[in-house]
Amino acid sequence: MLEATDLTAAYDDYTALQGVTCLVEAGRTVALVGPNGAGKSTFLRLCAGLLEPSDGGVSVGGHPAGSLEARALMSYLPDTPALYDDLSVNEHLEYVARLHGVDDWADRAAELLDRLGLTARGDDPPGGFSRGMRQKTSIALAFVRPFGVLLADEPFDGLDPPSRETLDALVAEAAANGAAVVLATHRVEVVEQADGCLAIDDGRLIYDGPADSAEVARLLS
Amino acid sequence: MRLRPTSGDGSRALGDLRRARRRRAYGEMDWSDALYKVYVTAILSALGVSLISGWLGGRAVTPGELATAVQRGPALVGLVVAVAIAAGLRSGGRGGPLALEAADVQLVLLAPVPRGAALRLPAARQLRFGAFVGAVSGMTAGNLAAQRLPGPYAAWVAWGGLAGLVTGLAWTGSALAASGFRLGRRWAGALAAVAVGWSMADLARSTATSPATLLGRLSMSAVDVVPRAPVGLVLLLLPVAGLVSVGGTSLEAARRQAGLVTELRFAVTMQDVRTVILLRRQLAAEGPRRRPWVRLPAGRRSWPVWRRDWQGILRWPAARILRVVLLGAGAGLAAAGAWRDTPALIVAAAAALLLAALDSVEGMAQDADHAIRRDTLPVGPGRLVSLHLAAPSVVMLGVAAVAIGGASALGGATTALSVGALVAVPAVLAAVCGAALSIETGPVDPYRVELFAGARLAIRSVGPLVLAVVGVLPLLDARAAANAGRAPAASAASGAFAVLLVVAAVGAWLRRER
Repeated sequence: MLEATDLTAAYDDYTALQGVTCLVEAGRTVALVGPNGAGKSTFLRLCAGLLEPSDGGVSVGGHPAGSLEARALMSYLPDTPALYDDLSVNEHLEYVARLHGVDDWADRAAELLDRLGLTARGDDPPGGFSRGMRQKTSIALAFVRPFGVLLADEPFDGLDPPSRETLDALVAEAAANGAAVVLATHRVEVVEQADGCLAIDDGRLIYDGPADSAEVARLLS
Repeated sequence: MRLRPTSGDGSRALGDLRRARRRRAYGEMDWSDALYKVYVTAILSALGVSLISGWLGGRAVTPGELATAVQRGPALVGLVVAVAIAAGLRSGGRGGPLALEAADVQLVLLAPVPRGAALRLPAARQLRFGAFVGAVSGMTAGNLAAQRLPGPYAAWVAWGGLAGLVTGLAWTGSALAASGFRLGRRWAGALAAVAVGWSMADLARSTATSPATLLGRLSMSAVDVVPRAPVGLVLLLLPVAGLVSVGGTSLEAARRQAGLVTELRFAVTMQDVRTVILLRRQLAAEGPRRRPWVRLPAGRRSWPVWRRDWQGILRWPAARILRVVLLGAGAGLAAAGAWRDTPALIVAAAAALLLAALDSVEGMAQDADHAIRRDTLPVGPGRLVSLHLAAPSVVMLGVAAVAIGGASALGGATTALSVGALVAVPAVLAAVCGAALSIETGPVDPYRVELFAGARLAIRSVGPLVLAVVGVLPLLDARAAANAGRAPAASAASGAFAVLLVVAAVGAWLRRER
């Protein structure tokens, strides 16, 4: 579903990502780990089509990242929520759902708000929300539309324990429904639940295998 | 949830939501407040234009001056147009003029909506702004030209407005096209050089071959109608190209611009010049060189502040060096204009010196940016500020030398050298002191009740420019003396002494304040 081939991102005199090749199949959840500044966010942004590779490429369901078809398939949950100050949470959900061609969005939106504990704030604009509330809004936006690939950058940061559990459940449901999921994280418990693990260090892919190996434990320690 | 790829075009949703947001914004707008702002802006603009007109004077030009204006004016206007296009191309080469909301990048541009459709509206808005700024500037220039040149007043304003409108559109259009077609820095820079070079060649050879020069000819149609001049309107193809190509704009650049422009607007609101400078550098990707132009030898242990300042200056990127040199040349040309017959240009000379000084006091500004580090140094902050003034003053003496060279280029080299040498030192010190004042008088905290907050705001907002203008006033003293048949150098010297006293007083105040 998501395939990176020799993916490289180089700037003037700095290489953020060097020749990363990997495959995340439909229905699998993969944890993306690595120290700060290793290149995890760059990898996800390249896959989302926000950045353009200097070499190599990413294919999302057979379409090049950033293309119209790839954007329809891919849902990206950024590390910093990007929300409009003048739209309420419900209006955000309607906007994103309709941009993705979903007309019967209301039930799904109500369910997500309920599970994330946002129902009471559905008509409020997120300008005055706390970091955690904004993150929950961002999660709802990522899940309100259909997708085949979910890319999430540190999605658990800023969430309270019940919301973390909800996100766990949403991710599991997405994978069960056939989505390929990549979660960038530093949390051991998230890696332990994943089907696979990708580890990046200094812009290079240094591990691609099962999440429960001794190698992963060493990388996370 | 059933997971399925969608292929629906969300353009309708995009249109609906944009309309809804616009309605809401209008609904929440306080119309009486908005109309009051428009009213005040209109009055201030009218006042500004008439003041400038008054300063420039209404002396009609002689027939010889008119012939020169008709011969060289179009090429000079063309050069301004070319510089605007070059600036647009440079901006486009770095990612373009579009500053989108972060949420638009995240939620709209990653949705399956054609990017051209999603970006055309913000691009059109940007073009509209460019056209407005250009038209107003052009009409103002036409108004000023009508004060001194023959020809119907309305024709000057109309042709000036048209030329300005096209220039504004070409400026924004070239930026949009350069980013949409992904020209990159090199190609955009090369095209910018061609545009400026072509206009400079026209200026040097008194020809009208470039579209920019032809637009300049069009702007002077009030006194000289040339049938070929409308060819200059070909520059309107630039905004068309910008709109056609806008879908190709890099998301990475749009995302970066989005955050920076929001911060920039806030900093401008707060009159926080330092933050504006830092953000502008980030927008222009103007970082320090990784390796200095010259590495200082392992240093003596004394004078660490002097050494630190030079280490920073020696890492200036080429763009900053070029900018400071151009500001020096601009200051010289403005000073020469003030000397000849337009004393109001003294403000332009002072502003150019102040801008160069704001670049040169980077070491001091870095200390101010990291106040916690500065406050832990075993040096009094007042003394630290004084020590930081030395290296920028030396840099600015170089800028003054360029300014004197620029003034000499307009003729009267002996006068420029003798008067310039006397005026340069106080002008430079006043500009550096003005820059220090801008850096060191921190922003007024809007949430804190503060005694003399209004005075502090005034000092911060206009103090630096006033000080820089005071620095160049001896030039007008010398001019008055020359016009009265007295020795200009003697007047310049006494004026310079008075300025040095003012600078010393402000320096002492700054040191005490710190």
